[in-house]
Order: sequence, then C-alpha cells, then structure tokens
Amino acid sequence: MTPDKSPSADPAQEKPSHSPTQAASADPSAPGPTTSRRGFLKAGGALSMSSLMGTAALMTQSDDAAAATEWAEHFQKNYRLMTDAEKAEARTRLERRYSSEYGKKVTVDTTGPQPGVLMGYALNIRKCIGCRRCVHACVEENNQSRGTRPGEKIEWIQVLRMERGEFAKDKMNQGYPEGLGIQVGGNAYTPAGQVLEGQYRYEPEAVPEKDATYMPIACMQCEKPPCVKVCPVRTTYREADGPVVIDYNWCIGCRMCMGACPYWARRINLTTPVLPKEEMNPVTHYLGNRPRMRGVVEKCHWCLQRSRQGRYPACVEVCPVGARKFGNLLDPESEVSKILERKNVFRLKAELNTFPKFFYFYD
Amino acid sequence: MNKLAFHTMILAFCCGMMAPALAQEQKAAAAAPAPAPAAETVCFESRKGASEVTKRDLQPGWPNVKCSPKTGAVLWWGDPFDGTVPMGKMPLLDKIPEGHAVIKPRTEKLALMPMCGVSCHNGIGPKFSPPTLPKGRKPAPVPTMEAMVPDLKDLQHGRGRIWCLDCHHTTKRNMLVDHFGDPVSFDQPQLLCGKCHGDKLRDWRDGIHGKRIGEWASTGKKRWFTCTECHNPHNVQDGARNRGFVQIAPEAPPQLPRGMKDAKYERVHGIAH
Ligand code: SF4
Ligand code: SF4
Repeated sequence: MTPDKSPSADPAQEKPSHSPTQAASADPSAPGPTTSRRGFLKAGGALSMSSLMGTAALMTQSDDAAAATEWAEHFQKNYRLMTDAEKAEARTRLERRYSSEYGKKVTVDTTGPQPGVLMGYALNIRKCIGCRRCVHACVEENNQSRGTRPGEKIEWIQVLRMERGEFAKDKMNQGYPEGLGIQVGGNAYTPAGQVLEGQYRYEPEAVPEKDATYMPIACMQCEKPPCVKVCPVRTTYREADGPVVIDYNWCIGCRMCMGACPYWARRINLTTPVLPKEEMNPVTHYLGNRPRMRGVVEKCHWCLQRSRQGRYPACVEVCPVGARKFGNLLDPESEVSKILERKNVFRLKAELNTFPKFFYFYD
Repeated sequence: MNKLAFHTMILAFCCGMMAPALAQEQKAAAAAPAPAPAAETVCFESRKGASEVTKRDLQPGWPNVKCSPKTGAVLWWGDPFDGTVPMGKMPLLDKIPEGHAVIKPRTEKLALMPMCGVSCHNGIGPKFSPPTLPKGRKPAPVPTMEAMVPDLKDLQHGRGRIWCLDCHHTTKRNMLVDHFGDPVSFDQPQLLCGKCHGDKLRDWRDGIHGKRIGEWASTGKKRWFTCTECHNPHNVQDGARNRGFVQIAPEAPPQLPRGMKDAKYERVHGIAH
C-alpha cells in the first residue's frame, strides 16, 4: 500500500488488509485500528482493567471520531443490555464517525419495537417473475458490500430458478427394469424444482422464462430461530416485534448461525466490506443497515430502518409485480393478515419447526 | 409550414382513442437510443412506458429514486409519494381513510389524449359535403388505429371476446366507461377493470393483488399502483405466455464462485456430492 494513495481510488483494487477485524471503511487504505475485540482483550490480560478503562475514557474524548468509536466499542455492552442512555451515547458516536467517514450526514436510528406490532411477510410465489430487482434494491438499501472480487459481494436475497416438471405419457414405464428383475417403481415424471448450484445465477435475456418458476428466499425471521439457539455469544436474537437481529459489535464471526440456518440466509464479511462513499445509504438503524465490519455475520432484518418508521421494506417497494407483501400480523386489516385468511399459504421447510414469519402464497 | 410539421399535425389530430399506446411508444422510442447518463435520468417503475419517474435530488445527495444501470428500472425509492395525488373516495373503496391512498395520475402523461374525444372520436362523423380537402394540400397518409395498435383486429384481451367500446366511452374517447355507460377517468382504471375482474378488484382493494408503496400499517398512507401501471390493457396476456406481466430484463446475477465461468457451468459439469 502506498501511503500517498488517493482516497478516491477504487477500494476493490486495494490489497486486503490482514488484520483480524477492521472497521468498515469507504477507504480501506486509510490506516484503521487493527485490534479486534478478541485480540484486544487477550493482550489486555496483562494490564489492570482499571488502567484500560482510563485509557478508553481518554480515547473517547479524542478528536478522531473513528478511533474514539473503536475504543468505546470495546467496552460496550451487548445492545440488548444497554440502558437508554448508553444507547443514545453509542448512537451519537456512531453518527459522528460514519458522517466523517462517508462525507455525508449519517443517522443511526435506535427505535425499538412498537407495542402491538408483530411483523409478517408474504410472497406470492405465482407472481414472481424472477427479475431480481428485490436483490439489488436490498443491496442499495442495506449497505451490503459490493466489490467484484470473491467474497466481496454480499446479497441477502436469493432468487431460485425452479424448473417446471410434468407428467408425461411416454415416460409411464420408465424406471422399471427390462425383463425380469426387481420392481423398483415407475417414473412418469420429469423432475422439476431441482436447485442446482448454478440456478440462482440464471442469465436469460428476459424473465419470466416460459419453463421456469421463481422462488425468492431470504431470512424467514423464524419464531424459533435455530441461528439464535446456536449463537455462543448471544449476539443474534429475536426482537419483540418479530425480526431476528444481530448486534454486529458482539459477533465473533464463528459462523455457527450460518451452519444452523436451514434457509441459507446468513452471510459473512470475510473481507472488509466494499461500500463506496457516494453509494452509502445514510439512513441507518443500529441493528439494521449500518455499515458492518470485517468478520461479522449479517442478514435480512426486514429493513428495520424503514419498517420501524412505518415504511415498507425496500424489496416490497421495488417488486414490479407486487409479489411481496408486508404488514402487522396482529392487525386483522393488514395485507398479510388478509392473505393468511384468504389465500393458500405455506412456509418453507415447515417440518423443521422453525415457524417462519415469512409466508409463501398463491391464488 | 413545412411538410414534416404538417404531417405531425395530421398525426396529432387523428390520434384516436389509442393515444395512450401511441404516447407510450413514442416515449419508449425516445428512451431506447440514449442509455448514456444524460442530464435527466428517467427510469421505469413497473413496466416500460407506463409508469416512469424522473430522478432528482430531494436534498443534496439524497435522490428520490435510484435507477438500475443495467435495466433502467427503479431499484430504490427515497420518496414513495413522488408525483402523486390523493386518489379520493371511490365507490367500494369507502374504507380508505381520507387522503391515505394516493396514485400517480396517468392522464397527464398521455399527451395526445385530450384531443381524442374532440378531433376524430367525438361521436359525430366528419362533415364534408361535398367532400373537400383544403386548397393546395395533397391527401396525406394518416396512421390508422391499426397502425397504432397492431393487435386491434385480434385483440387478445378477453381472448377476442371484447372490443374497443367495451372499455372506451362511445362519445367521450378520452374517458373509459363503466357498466352504466358513465365515463370513468383514465386515472381510475380499476373501476373499469373490476367490471369483469371482480375477484382481482377485491384482492387489489385489500392489498393482496398488485403493488403498493409507502407505509405498511393498514391505516398508513400508501401509494397504490392502479391496474394499467402494471398491465398493458391491449396486450394483457402477452401472447402465448398467458401471464399478465410482460417480460423484462433481469438484473445482474450473483457473483459466480471461483472457477465457474458462467451460470451454465453446473449443468455441463454436474454436481459433486
Ligand atoms: S431464516 Fe435463518 S437466519 Fe433467519 S431467523 Fe431463521 S434460522 Fe435465523
Ligand atoms: S422483485 Fe419481485 S418479481 Fe422480481 S425477483 Fe423479486 S420478488 Fe420476484
């Protein structure tokens, strides 16, 4: 890394830093603190805790917004255990840091769950045309990493392309052995819905394709989330209004949740996220789309920065066919409640008893 | 007056009732050859030509929309109520709290529409007795309705069971028509479409069918997309595919894993178990 590197240089071209964790930065060439929570606490074992606290207090007063935030974060509680005053403090210092880092006024919302609200989602599986606008809207809205090198591009939503199968007369006797043999059962069916590894990377000229149906998946915000059960540091949890969230500062990147999630919904930042300044969405939520660090897991949270303010998630607003619906499950007049009441509804992998609050329906 | 201007005038005056289609085509044609980021970015919301939005800054650095560099579709809304008007009370829609449903008016986009009902389709035939043409003018070809709507003789909507005047008002061609023969605005197409598609109208009213943006609470302020913002009424089945939404180009696929050249790789090489 050359010290005189222009700050406007494409971050994708930068040599990756090998520090264990590095704060999300619009410019990875900027010298960032290279200590992680783990590394720092290990090294700090020799020092007395009180002297550490003193240093932290000094650093918090520093003029360097990024450094002050880093230090304060090392002594920060899990978000769930913070008092309102501590939340406000964390919010102020993050707003200061992101604003200086991204060169625009960044807000970090800390609005909590509202009483009487249980968020729910419904998706009309027959309507989806597989245009992937939801995927890209999600990236725009939620400040996902958008680099071009492996591991630098993160997309929370996957749209699976499913083949349509059929029962065919001429295949009636397929699967039976010739002559004498053990009867194994016939197969008049052309296999459908097989998801090969490549089938969410389809590239036709236009969608929908005649022989395909599409199945978008993302975090299902399970009522009994396996990811929450396995998390060793309890950084991921279900909020009172439904969404399962992650306190990015407490995530140790062990990826247990990624293994536990049956819906492939979680993504890890293996590299420092690539988030160009001009593309950064400055309206953020602490548990939502604020910039992530290297080495933490992230996933869909139903756009908390929007939905806690009453607005639809970005994917709902962008879906050109209106396949996506969002609302309050406790309100009988809401769109999702009407769908549950009136339409044919199913949940993905219902047999796993994760009880998703994401419903697929068709009419 | 030069020849071109004259032709344009003829064309404008004989626009006929299919002006919406004409206006759309002109728009699409104008948008197609200029993918380069011009001073003004216009991107489409649901389908090309029907609902478009012009990109501008709500505040410095805070755009009203973000458009896809690949397909030109809206990818993100900063302000879901951009360019909307209150939908107003409608029969069957009395449950909406006042002012809480807004729509994007469509009529103002249809540049030639105000003339349809006064120039050619006013229900009174042209009075030529004896038939004359202005002095010194040669007869000029005018586009027929068929030229503007190629499927006119074989309108696929309703599989050939309906014709123009099932939807368009007989004497007010800049209006649609309801079951009682009363005119319906082009901004309220659901009152027309619901004549046949009652089940869809019910689902649309309850937020199950169709698209809404804005606030999710059932009493929240929402922008409702009306029928014609997503469906092209003249080609609602889109040929043999028999689906209500025309094909569009998809956004870019996710990143391929290292070593895979294209999306077909897995099919060619099989999957390792
Ligand atoms: S879908 Fe996966 S990430 Fe989302 S709550 Fe369920 S287990 Fe957790
Ligand atoms: S935006 Fe809507 S139609 Fe397009 S892929 Fe997503 S869910 Fe399907």
